[in-house]
Amino acid sequence: MKKYYIIARNTWDEMLTYRVSFVMWRIRNIIQLLTIYFLWQVILPPGKTLLGYSQSLMLTYILGTSLIDSVVLSSRTYAVGEEINSGNLMNFLLRPINYFLYWFSKDIGDKAMNICFSIAELTLIFIILRPPFFIQTNPFYILFFVFSVILSLFIYFFLNFLLGLIGFWSPEVWAPRFIFITLLGFFAGSLFPLDILPKTIYEILRFLPFTYLLYFPLKIYLGQLSFLQIASGLAISIFWTFAIYFIVKATWQKGLKSYTAYGR
Amino acid sequence: MTISVSHLSKHFQVHQKEPGVIGSLKSLVLRKYETVKAVSDISFKINEGELIGFIGPNGAGKTTTLKCLSGLLYPTNGKISVLGFNPYDRKIEFLKKIALVMGQKNQLWWDLPPIDTFLLNKEIYGIENEKYNIVFEELTKLLDAKDILKVPVKKLSLGQRMKMELMASIIHSPKVLFLDEPTIGLDVLMQKKLREFLKEYNIRFKATIILTSHYMADVEQLCKRVIIINFGKIIFDGQLSNLIEQYAPYKKLSVIFREYVDPKKLDKLGNISNFQYPKLIINVPNKKINSTASSILKNFPVEDITIEDPQIEDIIEKVYTQEDKRKK
Repeated sequence: MKKYYIIARNTWDEMLTYRVSFVMWRIRNIIQLLTIYFLWQVILPPGKTLLGYSQSLMLTYILGTSLIDSVVLSSRTYAVGEEINSGNLMNFLLRPINYFLYWFSKDIGDKAMNICFSIAELTLIFIILRPPFFIQTNPFYILFFVFSVILSLFIYFFLNFLLGLIGFWSPEVWAPRFIFITLLGFFAGSLFPLDILPKTIYEILRFLPFTYLLYFPLKIYLGQLSFLQIASGLAISIFWTFAIYFIVKATWQKGLKSYTAYGR
Repeated sequence: MTISVSHLSKHFQVHQKEPGVIGSLKSLVLRKYETVKAVSDISFKINEGELIGFIGPNGAGKTTTLKCLSGLLYPTNGKISVLGFNPYDRKIEFLKKIALVMGQKNQLWWDLPPIDTFLLNKEIYGIENEKYNIVFEELTKLLDAKDILKVPVKKLSLGQRMKMELMASIIHSPKVLFLDEPTIGLDVLMQKKLREFLKEYNIRFKATIILTSHYMADVEQLCKRVIIINFGKIIFDGQLSNLIEQYAPYKKLSVIFREYVDPKKLDKLGNISNFQYPKLIINVPNKKINSTASSILKNFPVEDITIEDPQIEDIIEKVYTQEDKRKK
């Protein structure tokens, strides 16, 4: 569908008009990344292991989260709530366009830009720091890794969209989002691998969708999961993908009903 | 029949909040709802190619009606048919044939030039290249927009942006066009241009247009037929000329005297609305206009005399206030 391609392209162009702020934001990301990177390098000297992680595995995990972060955990759907509140949603309801796909296309444009920058940054880090990077060669793991990343992309998109839909009922769309972002930083495993947590806590996290956003795909990449673990993990993420999709769909229908009945 | 509305009503549940923190807390626990009847039981029919002025004071229900017609609001009661569709279904075929332009809502991409939004709309509406090019050229010429097509929207002035919003909204050449305050915030020259454009569009595309506006000049120059709405009800539906006859069957006669005239002598001329030497303004029934004018010319020292139609604003005001009184 060409219209969605153009939406993605326009989003890309739009980002280019704010080059400076985008570059600044990326620099912030790099600094954040380097902080965690050096921290782990000190905690885990070469040759030692911590809770089953050697230095190279841990550093790969940390750099990997950064890459997936920019592919998966970037979504522009935070603006959905504002559009509902400002009444701009009307513009979409009156045009033959799918609002979900509209935002998904915007996200694709956004992600494409972020992927380009991430790859450039990681290459730079790779050349300068020469980290002992773990490279997965087993195509079986790589395949499941990619599949799992795609699932997490959808989970994150729907979760974010859902948060935006709060706008149908309340103008305060930001407070829930801040809580969400904070929870996410912890539960998705962007600071450390989740399996270094006590086993009981991890067993609970395993059933939440957040685990499958970063931690799970990277564990597959590192080749640390058995086939059974991969299968059950994928099953849980597929379940969440559909569950959240249906929740978003139902919420959208309900919100639209009140929107069109009460007007704005 | 392009548009047919029968017994349309739209009520809103609006929740009431007392001012202040205590009011906010109260409303958290105990929400009071009040039903607001934005539109109650209105009916009208509009034929293809008509250009209708939809007027009424603030909060009369104009925008609500337009939203119902375009499918944004679900009617509480009544039936609407636009181009044979039920608007609320928002079928793709329906959406491709209509447009709602709201003076205060924007669809242009803020950081990009307008042409990018047009190209996106071209794909959204599935317009073929050839047809797009023709319409694009034509609209560019009609709106005199050649120089601003490639300037980022954020750098355009309000008037330029309105032009571009309008162009983005009608690039798919809709058969039915709803315009909500299209001239709001524009200067006199731009208003005039926009009016000329709408007139031209109406003729060239055989489009049916409903227009709401606070500027009576918009209505006067564009619309043969007007629908006046107040308190959610239609109080007049008909030709603009009939409205004038019905509510203002008089002409405005202004006279400038050369010498001082005794006001008492003027009394017998009829209903004097204002006399401040040397200027006299008098409202004369249409039938008596000739005799009154000639008697003034004969009996008084006149410097200048003009006969005008009453101002449309005055008439509308009269309609509103009469309705207000009836309400009370």
